[in-house]
Amino acid sequence: MMIFERIGTFFGIIGGMLTDPVSVAVLFGSVVLGILFGAMPGLTSTLGVALLTALTYSMDTELAMVCLLSIYVGGTYGGSYASILLNIPGTAASAATAMDGYPLACKGEAGRAIGLTTTSSAIGTIISMLFVVSISPLISMFALEFTSFEFFLLAFFGILISGTLTAPDLVVKGWISGFLGLFLACVGRDQLQFFPRFTFGIPELDSGIEVVPVLIGAFGIPQIIEVLRGHEVKAKMKELQRIIPEIGTVIRNIPAIIRSALIGVGVGAVPGIGEDIAGWVSYGTAKNTSKHPETFGKGELKGVIASETANNACVGGAMIPLLNLGIPGSPPAAMLLGALMLHGVTPGPMITFEQPTFILEVAAILLLASMAMWVAGMILAKQVVKILKIPTQLFMPIIGILCIIGSYSLGLNIFNLYLMLPVGIICYFLTLMGYPIAPLVIGVILGPMADVNLRRALMVSQGSFMPVFERPVSLILFLIIVWMVVSQFKWYKRLMSKIKSLLFRKRSHNNI
Amino acid sequence: MMEIERLRKADIFSGALVVLTGMLVILQAMKMPMKDSYGGVQNVWYVSPALFPLLVGGMLILLGLVLIRTALKAVGLEGIRSVLSFICSSELFSYFKEENNVRYYGVVVNLLGFVFVFIPHVDFFPAAILFLLVLFFMYYCGDHGTLRTLLKCSLGSITFFGLFFFSGLDQKVSATVSYPGDWLTFMTIAILIVYGVLQLRTYPEQARRFRISLIIAVVAPFTVGIIFKYFLLVPMPSEGLVIQLLDTLWYMEF
Repeated sequence: MMIFERIGTFFGIIGGMLTDPVSVAVLFGSVVLGILFGAMPGLTSTLGVALLTALTYSMDTELAMVCLLSIYVGGTYGGSYASILLNIPGTAASAATAMDGYPLACKGEAGRAIGLTTTSSAIGTIISMLFVVSISPLISMFALEFTSFEFFLLAFFGILISGTLTAPDLVVKGWISGFLGLFLACVGRDQLQFFPRFTFGIPELDSGIEVVPVLIGAFGIPQIIEVLRGHEVKAKMKELQRIIPEIGTVIRNIPAIIRSALIGVGVGAVPGIGEDIAGWVSYGTAKNTSKHPETFGKGELKGVIASETANNACVGGAMIPLLNLGIPGSPPAAMLLGALMLHGVTPGPMITFEQPTFILEVAAILLLASMAMWVAGMILAKQVVKILKIPTQLFMPIIGILCIIGSYSLGLNIFNLYLMLPVGIICYFLTLMGYPIAPLVIGVILGPMADVNLRRALMVSQGSFMPVFERPVSLILFLIIVWMVVSQFKWYKRLMSKIKSLLFRKRSHNNI
Repeated sequence: MMEIERLRKADIFSGALVVLTGMLVILQAMKMPMKDSYGGVQNVWYVSPALFPLLVGGMLILLGLVLIRTALKAVGLEGIRSVLSFICSSELFSYFKEENNVRYYGVVVNLLGFVFVFIPHVDFFPAAILFLLVLFFMYYCGDHGTLRTLLKCSLGSITFFGLFFFSGLDQKVSATVSYPGDWLTFMTIAILIVYGVLQLRTYPEQARRFRISLIIAVVAPFTVGIIFKYFLLVPMPSEGLVIQLLDTLWYMEF
């Protein structure tokens, strides 16, 4: 009965949105804007969500979510245009698509490739939406059993895993980035005793660092500097023929699509790991499991399907920890969390009680956004690709203006700008030196959660850390954290390879 | 990202900075109430506001040291020596003058000037037009020589405007001429346009780009500004000449 009721509510929400012309207009407008953002090399879906957060501030929460999720879905898909037609990924998420998309375009099959990415991206988003609906209640129920120790360890785990998996250079840099984010989160009056920490007498810092301007600075400013600092890239765009939906190819590749979607959802659900990793992992898996791996990189349709299904499935995957635990699954999800907080929505285990239909609303928006994306992709692709002819040097300064006015408009506080720009410049240097930005952002967001829950937990246990070892979830989280740290040491790697070789030797002896 | 060898050398310094940050965090945290009373509440160590910063500071020191160790193992003492000799030599200045770095200064100087000098004091529209025009001219229309010239001009004008606003001169001038900052910005825009026309008139492709830049530099701020000001009802950080004019038009009763 409960399930039927939920299905009824779900379709009720969809019906409500589709009968509201404003919602439909915002849905299509945001999806197209997202596709444009994704298509332009240098602009990302994260930046799109960041800039639209300011514009949606005055909207009601549901409409704001329609706007932000649609730009997220559209932006993740839009990156494939530049990958296929220019061999320059529009976003990091579609970098893997370029591997086979561009060779397809060189063969004169760009329309086919874009049709395939459009359909597989839509399917990826829909599958991930199903996971949001089905898994969320279970995670929420499970998370309700969490005490402060679990929440502290979960926040810590989120920062560490994000640092481990997103570090382009050394893992330790990812962790440093996460702890720098935690430090930024310490600024302001502490939530238990209201003692001013690291405010240096500046009254604007008393309420802590505003998350959204920091996120806009962290994602927007480095991008602007990076693009303008580099020279104009003149790549010859491949011609785009008629867009074909490629339904037949998609049906023939259903198992591969489901596998890629599962990879996308799985990667998306890991805190702070974005669509780019999902795309690469899925592409790698498709290549490794293929009977003809030699065809990959030479215009293999399965390669395009794998990366595009996974990166869009990552959108829904990232929503799972965001909605149920308050931990963003990807950088755009971190921006979404900031936007939700601005609208007074606090994601976490209590969301199912405080706003029982919210998760269903998000799932309905994801479904509608994927459909709008498919329609827009099929109809407007030829027009959208014209944007690729506009030089990024003309775009980036305007993005700068949007970052500035957007950060200011959130709270009408000029101090936000004084915060956003230095954070952006620091983040640019960090990126240059191989420090990932995602853990820093996750640190800023999860810092208050880690701080308050650590102290609350110690208050309950009178200063004892023993409950960590007495409660199964916290023990598991603690062991994972320890393993994550220990696995980076050389002696651990040597030990593991020794154990592996011993096991292998034993097995081969047994076979003989 | 830098290449690996340069990255390892830079890691020594970034690691040291991380350690320093961690130490500063701990030093500041030590000033927070640990066991003494704050606001009439007797503290215990585990409720102290210093607990989390101490943990974060400690971890930053530890991770910074690990990074330094890794970097030192990779480049050795010879690596440090080469970095130090590079810092002390004239090569450092030629590194700072490299084209990529000059391009970087161009963006950063203009962003800093726009945010810290123009946005708080000048009407949003002329400030944004000037910002866009300078960046378009630097990165879309001109060559590296133009970029260098414009960077020097940007530095000069930002310093001039900074002195004008922060010395309180604008307040004195505004007694005779209203919105002096806005007028000065318009004058700067006009000078820039004249310079652009004179500089690029012999290069048809560049001149075409300059025309495009000019149109976008005017259209974009008006589109963005009008959306924020009149549709989202966000008052601009500084409202002057243009916004007064727009207000008159917007709220005019026909």
